[in-house]
Amino acid sequence: MKTPVPVLRLPRGPDHPDSRGFDPSSPRFQALRSTRGGAAAAAAGLPELREEQQARSLLRQRYLRSLLAMRDAQVRFRMYERVHVEARFGASDIDVLNFQVSDLQTPIGVQKEALLRCPDMISYSLEL
Amino acid sequence: MNEWREKKPQEWRRYVNNEVKVTAHEKQECQGWVFTVDPVSASVVLVNFQDTGRTCVTVVMGHAVEAVEILKEGGPEMEERLSSLFMPTGHHGLTKQELQHRKDSLRVWLEKNRIPVVEEGETLRVAGVLSVDPPYGPQDCSSSNEIILSRVQSLVQNNPVKM
Repeated sequence: MKTPVPVLRLPRGPDHPDSRGFDPSSPRFQALRSTRGGAAAAAAGLPELREEQQARSLLRQRYLRSLLAMRDAQVRFRMYERVHVEARFGASDIDVLNFQVSDLQTPIGVQKEALLRCPDMISYSLEL
Repeated sequence: MNEWREKKPQEWRRYVNNEVKVTAHEKQECQGWVFTVDPVSASVVLVNFQDTGRTCVTVVMGHAVEAVEILKEGGPEMEERLSSLFMPTGHHGLTKQELQHRKDSLRVWLEKNRIPVVEEGETLRVAGVLSVDPPYGPQDCSSSNEIILSRVQSLVQNNPVKM
């Protein structure tokens, strides 16, 4: 009797359209393109970029803290085409491309859980 | 890619703590004190302190920003008010002696665990790759190496000396 051969599935390569990595035409790469050059050069240890990295880390830390403070808060989102929605904020991905929200109140009903694409938003606001 | 997103972190830094008017897509305007500009998405975090004592936070996404105009410079008072906004409760309630005690106790605890610690003013530098700022809790550790960060944070958490 022949032994069955296991099917070997390779992970998706970096050039796949849904990949999260290195394909220069992927949405993730496009969104991050402006931030890549600086980081790489700073890693090389150029002194004038130290200051840039310091400013970057201060600004980023403050932004991440503001996201932390938003957790479980009721947030109003202003989207394109004058669409206004409200939801309870859950989390964001590191690139600020998607927000996870709960109880999204849309014009056609309430969606229990949803992902909002940040490129679709103009602004969001909340009260503390 | 608009002009605002092309700016460098130092240029964004100059807007922080100032009152600005942001013009976004479709000529929508927002006004407020700049808390920060996210260097990844270029989104502007605006804060408005209301008379009722509540704080209104509006964030304009970087890709929708068309123009940012500085209206008023914020003094040191505003700087203090803004930076205390989202920060953890911090060490406001602790005296100098208490902070010194916390720092010494942490240094002794880390050395006991054979981890090299150097004091740099108020900051403790751990093995040259991590720093602990006052008030020396697990949330005050910062490092670019997340493995070291989580190891040291759990060590700080397990410090047997009550802090």
